[in-house]
Formats: sequence, C-alpha cells, structure tokens
Amino acid sequence: MTRQVHRTEYVVRCLFERVGDASFVGHLDLMHTFDRAVRRAEMPIMYTQGYNPRPMMVFALPLGVGIDTLGDYVDISLSRLVDAEEFMEKVNPNLPSGVRLYGGINIDEPKNSLMSVVTTAMYRIKAPGIRDPLMRLFEKEEIKVEKRSKGKTVETDIRPLLLSGAQNMSPDPDICELYVCAGSVRNLRPDVLLSALCRHEGYDEELSQNAVITRLALFGGEYPRLLDIKGLL
Amino acid sequence: MDQVKISRRDLMSVESPGRYVGGEFGSVIKDNVIKQLEETGSCREVRFAFCFPDVYEIGMSNLAMQILYKCLNDMEECWCERVFSPWVDMDAVMRKNNIELYSMESKSPLKDFDIVAFTLGYEMCYTNVLQILDLGRIPFRSKDRKEDDPIVMCGGPCAYNIEPMADFFDVAMMGEGEELIVEVTKIVKRYKDNGKKDRIELLRELSALEGVYVPCLYEPVYDNGRYKGLKKLDECAPDKIRKRIIKDLDKVPYPTRPVIPNIRIIHDRAYLEIFRGCIRGCRFCQAGFIYRPVREKSPDTLCRQGIEIEHNTGYDELGILSLSSSDYTGLKELTDGLLDAFEGRHTSLSLPSLRIDNFALDLMEKVSKTRKSGLTFAPEAGTQRLRDVINKGICEDDIMRSLRLAFSGGWSTVKLYFMLGLPTETMEDVKGIADLAYKIERLYFDVCREQGIKARKPEITVSTSMYIPKPFTPFQWERQNTKEEFLEKQSYLRSLIKSRNIKYIWHDVETSLWESVLARGDRRLCDVIEEGYRKGCFYDAWDDHFKYDVWMETLNEHGLTWEMFARGFDVDDEHLPWEHIDVGVNMSFFRKEREKAYNEQITPPCREKCSGCGAQCFKAGECYAPK
Repeated sequence: MTRQVHRTEYVVRCLFERVGDASFVGHLDLMHTFDRAVRRAEMPIMYTQGYNPRPMMVFALPLGVGIDTLGDYVDISLSRLVDAEEFMEKVNPNLPSGVRLYGGINIDEPKNSLMSVVTTAMYRIKAPGIRDPLMRLFEKEEIKVEKRSKGKTVETDIRPLLLSGAQNMSPDPDICELYVCAGSVRNLRPDVLLSALCRHEGYDEELSQNAVITRLALFGGEYPRLLDIKGLL
Repeated sequence: MDQVKISRRDLMSVESPGRYVGGEFGSVIKDNVIKQLEETGSCREVRFAFCFPDVYEIGMSNLAMQILYKCLNDMEECWCERVFSPWVDMDAVMRKNNIELYSMESKSPLKDFDIVAFTLGYEMCYTNVLQILDLGRIPFRSKDRKEDDPIVMCGGPCAYNIEPMADFFDVAMMGEGEELIVEVTKIVKRYKDNGKKDRIELLRELSALEGVYVPCLYEPVYDNGRYKGLKKLDECAPDKIRKRIIKDLDKVPYPTRPVIPNIRIIHDRAYLEIFRGCIRGCRFCQAGFIYRPVREKSPDTLCRQGIEIEHNTGYDELGILSLSSSDYTGLKELTDGLLDAFEGRHTSLSLPSLRIDNFALDLMEKVSKTRKSGLTFAPEAGTQRLRDVINKGICEDDIMRSLRLAFSGGWSTVKLYFMLGLPTETMEDVKGIADLAYKIERLYFDVCREQGIKARKPEITVSTSMYIPKPFTPFQWERQNTKEEFLEKQSYLRSLIKSRNIKYIWHDVETSLWESVLARGDRRLCDVIEEGYRKGCFYDAWDDHFKYDVWMETLNEHGLTWEMFARGFDVDDEHLPWEHIDVGVNMSFFRKEREKAYNEQITPPCREKCSGCGAQCFKAGECYAPK
C-alpha cells in the first residue's frame, strides 16, 4: 500500500474510546499512536504538503491526561475511498489496549474542521459522595477559580461554563453526569471543575484527585439544542 | 495474582505517567500464565523480569531489550516482562506510599519473579540497579538472598568488568545473549520444577555454561591495596569465562514485531541492526574489540526484515544500526532495496556513522526527509600523530576531501567530535583541534568562492569529551588525566577558539572521573556503590543528579582513592580485575597494540589484513569469510 500525497480527500469520521491505563498517555502521544496504528493497518492515510509532511488527522478536542473517553471524534483523511467499517476493522487490532474505534462513517472533506464544531461535552465523574456537592455548584451565581496566566494569578468565573446535570442521573450518589462547555471557544476542563468543587463545597482534595473522569460524549450546537457531531459537516 | 495498584492521584502527580502504565502494542501478555497465577498463586513457567536501569524513554530505545524480550517470550516455558527505573518523582511517590516496583505487563511485584535481569549499557547506571532492587524489595547482596528470592543477573557491555557490582549479582552473562539467555532460563526452569531447593547448586550448574560468570564462586585477592587476581572458592568454577557470540546473524531471531511505546521515547523509530563488530580497531574504543569478530547480515535478510519492521511497527523512520555503517559491504544493495520498498510510504531511513564520501552524500540526500542536516565527523584527536596513536584510520586529507564535497553540495553545518586526555596527548595536540576547525572554516569560504556559491555563515561545532580508559582495549592499562589536566586542556582550547563560526562545546569533567573508577574498578567498590546509593546517589548518568563530592567522599571513607583506579595498571606485572574474562581478543594483542600506539604505528582494518587479535577462535564472521 503506498501512502500518497493526494488532493482528493476521503475522510473517515470515527468515534473512539480510550479507557484505563491508556488514558495516561498525553494527547500528542495519542495522535502518534493513532498514526502508527493506521500505518500498520496499511490504510492509505494522507499527508500534509510541504517541508515536513504530517499525517492528516483531526481530533475533535484534546483529551487531558488521566481522563477516559467513551465518545471522542477523530477525522482521518485517506487518499482513496475505504469503507468506514473496513477501516475500523483493520485499524482496531493495531491499536494498543484500551483504545478502540467505533461508529465510523464516510464523509466528504468537512467544510468546518472537527475542532471548530464542538461546543459541549458530557462528563461522568465518579468519586465517593460527589454527586450532591457537584450539583450544588449549579445553584451558585458565580464560581471563582484561580487561573494562572502570564505568570499572574487571576480569578475567573466558571459558572457560565457549567450547563446542567444529566436528565436521567444515576441514583448512585458517587456518580455525577453533567454537561459543560467544551471546544476551542469556551472550554471547562474537568480538573478545573474539581478544584472548584474542593474550594467552594469543601470536597476532599485527595478524593477529587482520585476521581475517575469519563468523557461520555461530545456535541455541537447550542445547549440545550445539542447536535450529534456525526451529522455536522 | 498479586498486582501493584497505583492510585490515579499518584499517577497524575508525576511527570509523564504514560511511563508507568504499560499496555503498549506488541507487549506480550501470556494469558495461560495469568490463569495459573490467579488459580493457584504460582505457575510452571519461568517469570523473567527484564530490567533497564534508567527511565522508560531510554530503556524502550534499547535494541538489546527488544531482541531478548522476543527470544525469551518465544519460549513456551518463560514469560518475560519489562521493568524500568521510576524517575525521581515516581521514586519518591513509591517510597512515601510504600508501593513496590512492578512489571509493565502484569503489574506484578518484582520480587515475585524467578529471574530479575539487568542490561548494563553504561557504568553510570549502577546505582539504578540498586534502586530497582530496593523498590522491588529484593536483598542487594547475592549472599543475602534465599532460595525463594529471584536470581539476579546482568549482561551487556558493562558485564565484562562487573567486579565493582559483583556482590549484587548472582550471575553475569558475557557477550551476545540470544542463545545464552535461553539456556540459562531453561536451567532455572528445572530449578523451579524441582521446588527451588539448592540455590548454590543452581549457580554452580549455571557456571558450567559457556559465557556465565558466577561472582560468588570466586574471591578477590589484594596485596598492599593492589588487586592480585581472583581465587576460586569452588572447584567447579571455570578459570576463564569466554564471551558468547552468534555465529550466523542471518539465523538468529530478530524482533520484527517490537513493543511500540505509547509515549515518545528518545529514539522513536524502528531499528535494523546490519552487522556486529567493527573492522577498524580504534585503540580507545571498547566496542571495537568486545564485539569482534565482524559478522554481517546479508542484504537479503535485512531487506526482508526492514520491510517487515516498517509494516509491523508503523514507524515512519527506520534506523540502520552498526558501529560503522559505511563498512557494511552490502550497503548500496540494502539502501537501494529499502528506499525502493518505502517509495511513497512516507518512511525515511536514518544512517548514523557514515563516512562522508560521494556515495554517502548522495545517499543522505535520498534518505533524508529534511534537506541538508548537519554532517558529523569524529576525528577524535587534533593531530595526525595522535590519530595514529589511537589508530583512528582517518587523516586530515580524508576529512578535507569529504568536506570539500559536502560544501560544494550545499552543506554548511559540521560537527566535530574529539576526546581530551588520550594517551601521549600534549598541548600541541590540543591546539591541533582548534587548527583543524579553523582549516575547515577556511575551506568553506574557499569552496564557496571557487564554486561561486553564496557563502552563508557556516556552523562548525567542536565538541570534546574526556577520555576514559576502558577494559579490553590496548589502553586498558593507561592512566586517566586528572581533573586539573582536563580543565587546563578545556580552557586552553576555549582560549584558542575565537571565531564566530566555530562553537566549542565541552562536557562536565567530574562525571568522567567517576565513570573511570567504575570502568576499571574491582570488588572493593561494591561497598562504596551501596553506600553512595544509601546517601541518595542515583541517576548518576544524569548531570543534574550526579553528586561527585558524595562519591569521592564515600570512596575515601572506604580507604580508597580516585588515583588507585585511575592511575592505571603496570603493563607487565599487575593483574587486571577483568582478566578472568575472555572476549576472544588476547591480552598479548592488546599489549602489542599498546606498544604500536606508543610508536605511532597504525594497524590496518581486519578486512585489509588480519592482525591476529585472537577473535579467530570463534570461527565465525570476517575472520572466516571466503576471501
């Protein structure tokens, strides 16, 4: 299989999950891991033109170290049409344990990059007794957190970035599922949310640091009228 | 099955947690072993922990580890897993929270393994061996370990003089490990089958294998602070231990499905080893002697393996490995074959250690993704006289001819590597380094003028390291320069290099002084190394963590001095701490080469004329190739 620089693009848009130990691999490293898996699978991935060609792969939203995901998106550009099912079937056995593609579709080259359409993420946070204090944050007018910027510490309000709790929340008080702003414009990192929880609700720091955070899904559109990313081309 | 658990919080508190989690593509999980462990708490197979005494990113770049991992896991009766030194931050977390060191594959505690083996590539990793044993809750000393404790082994270049670490290892393996490590594992399997009854009997049995050195079967003798050789404590122990080699590299297993790390490592590429040994015989170079005789793999085998590796790994770069790629007889056939196969696949070749000629420059243009990277030369010494002393078969004309070609072809970045403190070196030789750099600078502008090329600012880098006499070289008896001598030479050279086009890079002297002690040390250093470790020394190979003063102080507390080890040995009547090891090359050859060095006489490469070094005894490779 030759890998050619080519102008026609056939894009496979896949959901992927990354769970367990694989979640401790950083975002850049994860991109390399995908690149190599696609190459091992002999899929005809495209490369950028120019001095230092890079594989053409776009991730919807960087994933922090230590965070699991069950529903992230990646767009991979190919130089010829490969059925998304076949693509996943070939690539999956080449991914390290804990990483898996699913729910892929074939699309034309998207007008808007995958990164620009993401607005919202749904997270599940699992830690002892975390549901109630986390939901109480939604009752606040403002939630100040300290943010380091250019060597100075500034206070910002993350309340506008909190959207809502999930509709059918699990009865388990150790689990909280919620929607927050995500994407290149407005983004709330789960670790920032958890530090706010410790600061404003007195939640235990050690428990918060051991919380299992899972990104359940990514959406486009404007809350509450969320759109499935698959259809956003 | 016992598994070490690390909390998310602990993992998130350290740099690069991806180092500690495993799960890489290509790592080997033996489900049948796990099943037995879960059901009965034990297994029939030998559990082998392959330890690399440095961080993950360095260990995973090590080809020996990938080769032996494959050899061991190809055995039905063995499961080999990997272990690395936790970095300083993780080390602290593990000590604070009482977490044991574990393997990457099954996360089993290190002490649950039958064999714990280290590959020793550089002396400065010795304290990390102790760190791994310490965090793994394994007694340091061979004599303190009981029947149920793991058998602790080592191999790699430093095993050739393992005396400074001899008390910590049950077994040291000499030479190439592909066959030996399998033989050793089979014997340990029988020991395990029989219920691990008599540890010393096992060690005696292992010592009968060619290439195995069991330090506890010998005892060193000293006289007035001088080393006087080893005394056998057991009749079964061999007088001499001969290293092992692989006779036919085309027939030995090669890891074409290596473990692919999930995080970026130091050398993030696939590897193809094209031959072992070196025809050159540079007198300072330990690798040039311990890997003899020269044995090439055939271009056919290499092309096939190279294509397989590129496909199996998904790497976009294949590194061609050897001590001197230009000396590989099938280089053109191999590179043509690989470049052809990689056409359109966005895969590049990297070819370190090329001698610069027309062919090499042409090749570099073809293989390189990025245009015109820097050129590297290793003249090692500044004057022809000294280059003859060290038998560096390269003269100024060669360098100038190569550079003329390169400058005409548009190159303008040159790196030059030298050593300070080589035997017989004078200040005149040091000045020669600066002279050579200036000549190269002039050559650049001359060539540009002659060829009508628009001259840029050339970048000429001069880098000096400190010469450390190593065992199994003609200079094994030499004294090392003192700290003052090294510093004087460095500052002299600094004063000579004034051009804006020439950059001088010098290295820390103290690291080399300590490395020199370890390289030629004897068993009296075992106590010193352990105490240094207890005082907080580890990661000595990392300048930020190396504590020179602590080492010198500890050495002195044990009644030893730097001079005792660095002053060298008397050629005629002194014993060498590594004289019981036989690398094939004779001591008489080293003596002869040393004499020739002092007479400034060169010795031709093996391929040109056999100089009778003794490596013929292996009946393999270049020595026996049809002429």
